[in-house]
Amino acid sequence: MKRDAQPTGGKTQQPDATRRSFLLSSAVGAGAVVAGVVENARANTSAASIPSIVIPKEITESLAQEPKPGEFGGRGITGAEVFANQCKEENLAALFCCPGNYTVINAIAAAGVPSYGGRTEGAMAAAADGFSRATGEVTACSGTEGPGLTHMIMNIAAAASARTPLLVLASNMQIAGDDRETFIQTGYQQPITSGMKKYGKRLIAPDRVWEYGGYAFRNLKSGVPGPVHLDFPGEVARARFKEPSELKDYYTKDKYRTESVMHPDPADVKKAVELINKAERPLLIAGQGVFQGKAWDALLAAAEKNDLAVVTSGPTRGHFPDDHRLSLSLAPDALSSADLVIFVGQYCMPSPGEYRFNPDVKAIRVHPQPEDLGRNWPLEVGIVSSERSFLEALASELPQRKRESWVSEISAAKDKYDKFINDQYALGLKHSQKTEHLHPAVLCKEVHDFLYKGDIDPKQTVTGWGGWTIGTYAGRWLRAYRPGQEIVCAYQYGAIGPDVAMMIGASAAVQQGVGPQAPYKGAPTVCVSSDAGIAHSLFDLDTAVKYKLPTIAVIYNNDCWGMWPAATSSARSMHLYLFQQNLRYDKMAEGIGARGEYVRTDAELREALKRSFEAAKKDGMSTLINCQALKEFTSAGAYPPGVSLNPEPGCGAVAH
Amino acid sequence: MPRRTLLCTIAMLLLVAVSSALTIGTRAVAADDDTDDRISLEDAKKLKSPVPYTKESIARGKVLYRRDCTECHGADGKSQVDVIANATDLTDPEYWASGISEGEVYRSIRDGAGDAMPPFKDKVSKDEDLWDMTNFVRSLWPESARPKLAE
Repeated sequence: MKRDAQPTGGKTQQPDATRRSFLLSSAVGAGAVVAGVVENARANTSAASIPSIVIPKEITESLAQEPKPGEFGGRGITGAEVFANQCKEENLAALFCCPGNYTVINAIAAAGVPSYGGRTEGAMAAAADGFSRATGEVTACSGTEGPGLTHMIMNIAAAASARTPLLVLASNMQIAGDDRETFIQTGYQQPITSGMKKYGKRLIAPDRVWEYGGYAFRNLKSGVPGPVHLDFPGEVARARFKEPSELKDYYTKDKYRTESVMHPDPADVKKAVELINKAERPLLIAGQGVFQGKAWDALLAAAEKNDLAVVTSGPTRGHFPDDHRLSLSLAPDALSSADLVIFVGQYCMPSPGEYRFNPDVKAIRVHPQPEDLGRNWPLEVGIVSSERSFLEALASELPQRKRESWVSEISAAKDKYDKFINDQYALGLKHSQKTEHLHPAVLCKEVHDFLYKGDIDPKQTVTGWGGWTIGTYAGRWLRAYRPGQEIVCAYQYGAIGPDVAMMIGASAAVQQGVGPQAPYKGAPTVCVSSDAGIAHSLFDLDTAVKYKLPTIAVIYNNDCWGMWPAATSSARSMHLYLFQQNLRYDKMAEGIGARGEYVRTDAELREALKRSFEAAKKDGMSTLINCQALKEFTSAGAYPPGVSLNPEPGCGAVAH
Repeated sequence: MPRRTLLCTIAMLLLVAVSSALTIGTRAVAADDDTDDRISLEDAKKLKSPVPYTKESIARGKVLYRRDCTECHGADGKSQVDVIANATDLTDPEYWASGISEGEVYRSIRDGAGDAMPPFKDKVSKDEDLWDMTNFVRSLWPESARPKLAE
């Protein structure tokens, strides 16, 4: 592979054995066999005339090209190339895009930033978000003016809720056409992203393109992160500069932004230590700021020194391991026992009552921005600091202490939670065996056992989850034993649908071995989602296959929106909630070049997971496993418990 | 039609019919496990709370309510946030479908109600806690409908 080239799609590929595996796996019921025979007959008549799905050689050749950044001199460097070079200098981790904004995306790819082209702008925004959630790094998405940008909106909003450092790029016609509705796709973009970005700018002065790039990266790389939106009119993207002196504020990055971090006032740390010393059951809530600030080692040191319990919150889990004796992520009943809580890096701040703490609990909060301290939650001590600096100071100043009673209570709460989810599984297994359809508790337990109890390193696989019915179970069963191992796709914004696309982005991060994913380079990721969710991003399995980003989508197919019980008191609206029954998402996946598996029992799912991991390892192949369920499993009356909502913060949380 | 084709067709139709019947059968069956310890509506109507309707019980119930119920019913019980479920307005018992006697309210919390409301007997394992929640829920009713506070 040439220097700086992206991992290539390799040889052309065919989704081998998918039809055969479908026939084998569907030979469960007589009806399924009949359907398979009919399908096979159709296949035989048409196979000779229909070409196989292949990755064209142009893709492989394109991915093997060496970077060729724009340079001054000659005809001149374009505004897009100036910006692209800045993105490269700032270590932009990846670009996910659909064509449109051609000058900019071509320049960013040419500059050597790993770049991925997909099927919808929305999914590409989600993939960029997923890459960032798995690594903490800045990523970008891009689309055309008008429809491209508006297609991204849901996922820009999701990234804003998750405080993802997402660089949103879009072309936007010409300044010369402003207010004239010139040609097509005209729209004022910046007002559209109001309320869902940290910073935004329509670039209107070509010679200030580097200066505004500086604005963008200052906002993306300091303080509390969030989306930054730049729109490029043609006059800026296509401007040409022969000399650096033609650009304003054309400084190196050390001159336009700082890596300096905020340290806590020692007097504030002393107050925090005093409160912790007085507390019997202190609990540290480690939000995404701990992950994004790569402060997990400092967190572990502080917690272990003083037996501080820790629960993680945020769109990414794993910055404190679920299996640690001090972790409360799987011990929700112990949350209400805490007599002191210490919020660190909790950017989306709950109000008292939203977290299940003792109403009289004392609180300390650490945050990089003083204006946010005291918002929503009354504090004993508010500390302005970077998360890492505070945790390092805390680890240094706290005395060694053992809290045996507190640790013992946590252990008992973990046992209780474990029994609770296993009792749900036992009930779900009965439902599954009775109906010969996969209950969500059974599905999630099988995925859990395969990922964490079998031959795979339990720390290896990055998972994500979404959907409604399945999400309420998946959050309980998926685990995070190391930083960046679990993505809470629906975090805070609650979008159903972007999860598979997010995990394709996470797969790209794992493929490149970025940050905490380095030891697991090339491993597949797993997304547990739903038939409602997959509608949003199924087509981007094409993107996963094209780039050999092995993503295993385990789809709970219950033929409906999981919220259908909301229609039980309104008979005339039930049709609004239901789909056709027995849709074959596995076949759709096969149709776009991925593998498909169809399962209805726990044993079938186990085997499908094995085959999917083997295909991922051998060919970098992605798979969709269609897990056929019944909509009635969501019914608490017919199949208790139906759904049961999750404790928060910790395992299964989607809010804050 | 050739005889073999006809036989094949009949066989296939039979298989389809059998498999369809099986499918329909599974969909009609609801859970009736031996583990199902749900209380019947008739028995619920006869239940009497062992936990008096007191300020203390209501306060304990409020803590549990805040932990387990607010996502669907809201902190005020009015269920005005429509994100998770089309939940019942707990402040307006006149329209409740699963009954408003203390036993019926207890049953709804313990075993779930309708298709959407999940059972809480596994999450709230102490029976007294379920009765405290029952008392808190009844405290959300209009004054004219509320039980009289016990001493």
